[in-house]
Amino acid sequence: MTLFDADILTKYTVDSIRTEDEGIDTFLFSLGCYEGEPIEVVSRNKNGCIVAIKDSRYSIDLDLARAISVR
Amino acid sequence: MSIRIALAGNPNSGKTTMFNALTGSSERVGNWAGVTVDSKQSLVKKRYTNGLDVVAVDLPGAYSMSAYTSEESITSTYVRENNPDVIINIVDSTNLSRSLFFTTQLLELGVPVVVALNKVDVNEKKQTIIDIPQLSRLLNCPVVETISTVSKGLELLISTAVSLLGTKKTSPYEQASMDGEDKDAMIEADKDRFDFVNDIVRRVETKRPRIDNNLQDKIDAILTNRWVGIPIFALVMFLVFGISQAWLGPWLADLLAGWLEAGQSLVADALAGSSGQLDIWSSILVDGIIGGLIAVVGFLPLVMVMYFLIALLEDCGYMSRASVILDPIFKKVGLSGKSIIPFIIGTGCAVPGVMACRTIRDDKERKATAMLTPFMPCGAKLPVIALFAGVFFGDSPWVGTIMYFVGIAIIILGALLVKLITGVKNKKSYFIIELPEYKSPSLLGACKSMLSRGWAYIVKAGTVILVCNFVVHLMQTFDWSFQVVGEGAESTSILATIASPIAYIIAPFIGVVAWQMAAATVTGFIAKENLVGTLAVCYGVTNFINVDDMILESGASEVAAIFAITKVAGLAFLAFNLFSPPCFAAIGAMSAEIKDKRWFWAGIGMQFSIGYAVAFLIYFVGTLITGGVFGEIWMPILGWIILLGIVAVYTILILKNRVKKVG
Repeated sequence: MTLFDADILTKYTVDSIRTEDEGIDTFLFSLGCYEGEPIEVVSRNKNGCIVAIKDSRYSIDLDLARAISVR
Repeated sequence: MSIRIALAGNPNSGKTTMFNALTGSSERVGNWAGVTVDSKQSLVKKRYTNGLDVVAVDLPGAYSMSAYTSEESITSTYVRENNPDVIINIVDSTNLSRSLFFTTQLLELGVPVVVALNKVDVNEKKQTIIDIPQLSRLLNCPVVETISTVSKGLELLISTAVSLLGTKKTSPYEQASMDGEDKDAMIEADKDRFDFVNDIVRRVETKRPRIDNNLQDKIDAILTNRWVGIPIFALVMFLVFGISQAWLGPWLADLLAGWLEAGQSLVADALAGSSGQLDIWSSILVDGIIGGLIAVVGFLPLVMVMYFLIALLEDCGYMSRASVILDPIFKKVGLSGKSIIPFIIGTGCAVPGVMACRTIRDDKERKATAMLTPFMPCGAKLPVIALFAGVFFGDSPWVGTIMYFVGIAIIILGALLVKLITGVKNKKSYFIIELPEYKSPSLLGACKSMLSRGWAYIVKAGTVILVCNFVVHLMQTFDWSFQVVGEGAESTSILATIASPIAYIIAPFIGVVAWQMAAATVTGFIAKENLVGTLAVCYGVTNFINVDDMILESGASEVAAIFAITKVAGLAFLAFNLFSPPCFAAIGAMSAEIKDKRWFWAGIGMQFSIGYAVAFLIYFVGTLITGGVFGEIWMPILGWIILLGIVAVYTILILKNRVKKVG
């Protein structure tokens, strides 16, 4: 499942990230968003969702939410 | 020899705030990534350095040494190439693991590092405890607690940094040397590094189980909701314009204008002497130089109130939420939420706004953003808006708000044109932006920002604008044979003859041929505030603020009568000057950021054509509705020819792209 379908306020673990964009992969990595790390969807709306990675909140769009697989 | 200290750290860790506290500068601060895009340096205040010469270098925020955007590569390049004597690594203590990743990379560079554990006050509130001696031991480098917003811990920080000069420490984490080409190995190595960091964090940080900061999340859910978020954004902007231009601003300006005019009449009386008449040079001084200056400086309170409010907004964390709601709209036209940062900075001044485009990774998106940023009404355009709002619309806050949203609408339209002409992007553009925690904005910081911008405004008024007013006044006083222009023969002056051809071009949306307006438009390219100065000089009006009190004649309607154009024409002329190309400084910045002649000239052409089209449409439609006349018969004809010409050129360009795609 991807973050797009993830339940809100539930702890998940990042499984894989498929953006086909090396820059954004590296960027996510530096935020602490990579395979095996915890992630949580705080809220979502039609355009995207707000996620908690480590101690920070980020707003991401739906394309990025679909590119992040979690378990 | 002075000691060079580089400040490095993640975006939004408080680097620039610390830089300002250390050096007494007032660089722009804002709590989203990308506020600082260039490195800046300045001497550290002596009271922190024990008398030594210490230079601090403020670098843009970086999440890690592998550059994600060019602002981050500035940091890595700077550290690698300029060998600073010491690095102060500002670590956001509320997000330790993310920050320490970068720290471990910095520690490997061989330059002594001091960690400034910043925002410890926020941690205290959250009851998070960090074992500092342990952290210092694990990192093998000194750690100093700081609160850069209130300048706490800075003395110790600098003395610790100075004491490290020339020392060498071993890095606690050494990445195994490896083949730089092997991407998987690099990722593995980075994961190992993160594991190392996570281990440190586990050992030094004691967190109270998080009391869900639900309130913050609830506010976020509302502010980023697409139905509620946009009206809230509109309301916020309306309040900013209302307070600065209709309520508080004019009230303050009124006080100031009274003093300024009293000063002007003192000078005039002194020069006139017993005769009570001013000779030609005294008149140039009193009406040209002083009068023009007063007209521009008179708007200072409005500009300062606006800067104060914008600084508050930037500081409290709202701006990144605003970019979240605008992202889906911008994405439809080929931009993304990333473009919003330049646009918002552009409301202060287009030059740093255009420079902020550097943080946009996609090349086409970056160029398009750079050419569209100047459409945001900047601080220099504010007095122009205020002038027309005052003279024609009774200081209504709607004029500014509407111009602001017309600016956004034009940006969206412009982006759509760029997209249609250059082809649809095939690459997905992902959007991610940090939502920093809300905090009550610093009034002191906002005051500082307001004062420094206000001072810059005064300096500009006293230099560039003063000279322009003087030249304009000379040019309108004399004709080509250097004789003083007589009463009733104003159109023979040097200024009138030079500006006349332009007056014919802009006549279709003013309804008259007014060389004064044309001259103002031209001097506006040197600095937009010049529009106010030039109109003041050409029409002999100095107080535009509270036109109802004008001693001259009988008020706003009188000034409108002096301008001799209709309300609709006033609005159209205002729109043309706001949405045509910006001042030369901003044009220079555009050229530097776009780095492509064709894109640059296309951008200038687009600014002219959109500005003209918007102004003419406002005038034409407005005049139809209000039932006025279009001036002389050739004016609407010329207007339609130019408008249709613009439409034709863009249609051809778009069709050409279609054909290219099909073929």
